[in-house]
Amino acid sequence: MPDRIMETTGERHIPSVAMSLTSTLVTHTGSWKFSRPVYHDRVAPCNQGCPVGIDIEGYMNLLREDRVAEARDLLLAENPMPAVTGRVCHHPCERACNRRLFDGAVAIHAVERVLGDMSHGEASPAASAARHHERIAVVGSGPAGLACAYHLARFGYQVTVFEAAPQAGGMLRLGIPEYRLPRAVLDRDIERIAAQGVTIACGTRVDSNAAWNKLLSTFSAVCVATGAHASRTLGVAGEDLPGVRTGLEFLREINGGGRPDLGRNVVVVGGGNTAMDCARAALRLGASVRVAYRRTRDEMPAIGDEVEEALGEGAHISFLANPVEFVATGGRVSGVVCERMELGEPDASGRRRPMPTGERFTIPADTVLTAIGESATLDGLPADVSRSGSGVPVDAVGRTSRASLFAGGDVTDLERTVADALGAGKRAAIGIDRHLRAIAPDHQHGAVPDSLRFGGGNVSAARWRGRDPVNRVAPVNEVVGFDDLNLHHFAAVPGQAEGHLASALGRARFDEVNLGFTPAQAMAEAHRCLNCGTCTQCDVCLIFCPDAAITHGADGAYEIAVDYCKGCGICVAECPRGAITMTRDKT
Amino acid sequence: MKKVIVGNHAVAWGARLARVEVISAYPITPQTQVVEKLSEMCADGTLPARFIKVESEHSAMAAVIGASATGARTFTASSSHGLLYMHEMLHWAAGGRHPIVMADVNRSIGPGWNIWTDQNDSLSQRDTGWVQLYCETNQEVIDTTIQAFKLAEALDVPVMLMLDGFYLSHTAEPVDVPDQEMVDRFLPSRVAPRKLDVDDPHAFGALVRPDSYMEMRWLQQEALRQVPAVLETIEADWMRMFGRHYGAVESYRAEDAELLLVTSGTVTSTARYVVNQRRAAGEAIGLVKVKMFRPFPTELLRDALAGVARVAVLDRNFSPGHGGIFAEELRAALYDLPSEVRPAIYGYVLGLGGRDITPTVIDEVIDRTRQSTTSERADLWVGVNP
Repeated sequence: MPDRIMETTGERHIPSVAMSLTSTLVTHTGSWKFSRPVYHDRVAPCNQGCPVGIDIEGYMNLLREDRVAEARDLLLAENPMPAVTGRVCHHPCERACNRRLFDGAVAIHAVERVLGDMSHGEASPAASAARHHERIAVVGSGPAGLACAYHLARFGYQVTVFEAAPQAGGMLRLGIPEYRLPRAVLDRDIERIAAQGVTIACGTRVDSNAAWNKLLSTFSAVCVATGAHASRTLGVAGEDLPGVRTGLEFLREINGGGRPDLGRNVVVVGGGNTAMDCARAALRLGASVRVAYRRTRDEMPAIGDEVEEALGEGAHISFLANPVEFVATGGRVSGVVCERMELGEPDASGRRRPMPTGERFTIPADTVLTAIGESATLDGLPADVSRSGSGVPVDAVGRTSRASLFAGGDVTDLERTVADALGAGKRAAIGIDRHLRAIAPDHQHGAVPDSLRFGGGNVSAARWRGRDPVNRVAPVNEVVGFDDLNLHHFAAVPGQAEGHLASALGRARFDEVNLGFTPAQAMAEAHRCLNCGTCTQCDVCLIFCPDAAITHGADGAYEIAVDYCKGCGICVAECPRGAITMTRDKT
Repeated sequence: MKKVIVGNHAVAWGARLARVEVISAYPITPQTQVVEKLSEMCADGTLPARFIKVESEHSAMAAVIGASATGARTFTASSSHGLLYMHEMLHWAAGGRHPIVMADVNRSIGPGWNIWTDQNDSLSQRDTGWVQLYCETNQEVIDTTIQAFKLAEALDVPVMLMLDGFYLSHTAEPVDVPDQEMVDRFLPSRVAPRKLDVDDPHAFGALVRPDSYMEMRWLQQEALRQVPAVLETIEADWMRMFGRHYGAVESYRAEDAELLLVTSGTVTSTARYVVNQRRAAGEAIGLVKVKMFRPFPTELLRDALAGVARVAVLDRNFSPGHGGIFAEELRAALYDLPSEVRPAIYGYVLGLGGRDITPTVIDEVIDRTRQSTTSERADLWVGVNP
């Protein structure tokens, strides 16, 4: 049997394996490509969703790297009152959070609260070295006024805040009960603002033309942030009966230390945060509380957590109940006559409109607290400032119709939340800076460059000052959507739970109910952040690149060998955070 | 150290003692415990290997091919349809001369869906260029797993070892687990003749034209031709260090036999029992165990079987439309023996899909072979009730 049928001939040597003799580096596979990956730092949806304009994504990244003090400073660069907003903000950032659709939103508010609380007594972030000669007056020391003053001080201006009440804080102090916002917390946030060089003159009311004109002639610019303190009325019979009072007036009394006797049965009218505050405060005074709201739970404007906690503490809510008359016994209110409603077609607000059914019923009441909304008191403003039905109209940087007069917060016709007020105050500060320094050529048009906004959200003070403290790789100002993430690289991690006083205990006292996170919990929660749009140097692109064309560059960023990247896009598809995008090459 | 372990864990311990560096595998009954045990070992750090999770057996084999190309010692395990799904990659592993070791837990092929043992999964991969070794006991499984790396790396050929589903994979037996230090002496780290290196990249497996392709296949055949001799050297070392020896082909009580059974896998143990009984009754019956099916040990089998009157091959497999696969291959291997020493070969197909092969069944095979007056055949089915 022939043993060797096959013979190799001549000089040829056939290797056992088909392996190229030359290095494949001679093959520039990159010459085939018509598109290439580019690292871009994109905007996380939380940043876009924040009415204050906080770089949440930025401080979460710093926390991920255990750079806690820097995270706090980045937060304080945009938000002067993190201890307050960490407690009372309706946190639209969490509704925007991409993680919400994965395994639950990051509890951004609770992380912010820990950073806000820890920052007290420590150095505030460095303010601008610039010192300007102009003096600015801010009227009103609520969140809008204080934010405006804070940012102006950090821009280098001398700022005085005028406040009619004996203490600063505006609606934060007058309208929000202590069990949600302890006064010591509020005071510390205000102290930090004052520490920036802001003078706060309490007990000074500005409500006459003469007073406004004096301010406008004495100061280089004035910001109006007087809020909305007038309660809307229902316009039904019996509204002036003894025992019927506005919720705001009641809260003001409570927050001033008063503990009025409300009787046994309290009916709160309304479905917003003021209504919930009234209900929970009344519970703490020992009353049995029923809220009458003309729509359903889905349409309630109050923060969901507030509603939950009110119900947990024993408040009852009658939905689809529209008060049509307050009835009296012995000269004092004794009941609320309600008409049963049903939901019809959506109205202008997008919520389904309540329609009367004709069916009536009476809820017994010893006290009625009305909380159906507030309006700005515009009477005291300078006569020549134009105004709309609900407030002073302003442009994107808080300018009113009158030169040098700016406005922000509830006195304007914009959204009425603490966060929106803080954001509006910042915009007004930027508007004043731009006005006085004549920085922007588009001065007359009121436009704010998009580059100052987080993906079209609120403006960034840090960006306005020309130095974004976060080193972003080729930033593009577009938001990373849920579909831009690659969730295969993330594991589900349950969110941390905030501590709470037991319901019964909470109902009995005005002590703070929500105890928040411990610092360790805050760090754990910060590590749940998906870091949308930010390269965290996780190496997924490097590992997955089939051409081994991605390497670590000198500065820690990745480098793509253009000669070998063939534009397959696998790195883009695999990037967990949507921080790489494909761009098409010119053909 | 003696341990009482199932065959699947014997596989895992063998891979661990061989200090395998990259594992990629996809679980399938009855192989799953192999994957579970190895992933536990990787997770708890007792086996410092990379375990690559994949979505299929095709990818598992592709992953170990890539890892093997970089010079790593690699391992995988599969069974039945999982092995079939690897088919294309099995050719790439062998043609690329990657010394990968794989355990296949023998399981039948569906449909009818069946998770029990027969050899049709591995035998349907016989032409992929892999060495095939069939094991009889859990001790043989762990020993063969370790030896397989040495064999594979000596010749740059991939090695597949087989263990019967459930009969070995899920049955606990006392196993002498070799000492790590001795295994390290037996099996040093892999030294690859060439490496896939991102810093000096070369193309592997690219186009080879008709003027060279055939030479490459011839070199592959030359390597496989050396397997029996190299395996014997390896087994001699193993015998010296651990006192155990198996052989590519083993003759058991075959002296002066008139009839020899030819077996593979766990059937061998049952057949040894029957042989002992028959010998005790004064009958000249023995057996030949075929451990190595690829490369086919032609010379060893000619030596073992020449001169015996009749041979009965027990095939727990069959080639549809043909016969028992071991029997057919054996007939071809012995065809050109001089007629005076060439045995008559009777091939029995039995035990498919996990059907039990009891001593009674083997007795029937022996009796039918001895009494047969018909010509030889390779597709004598046993125990079929149509």
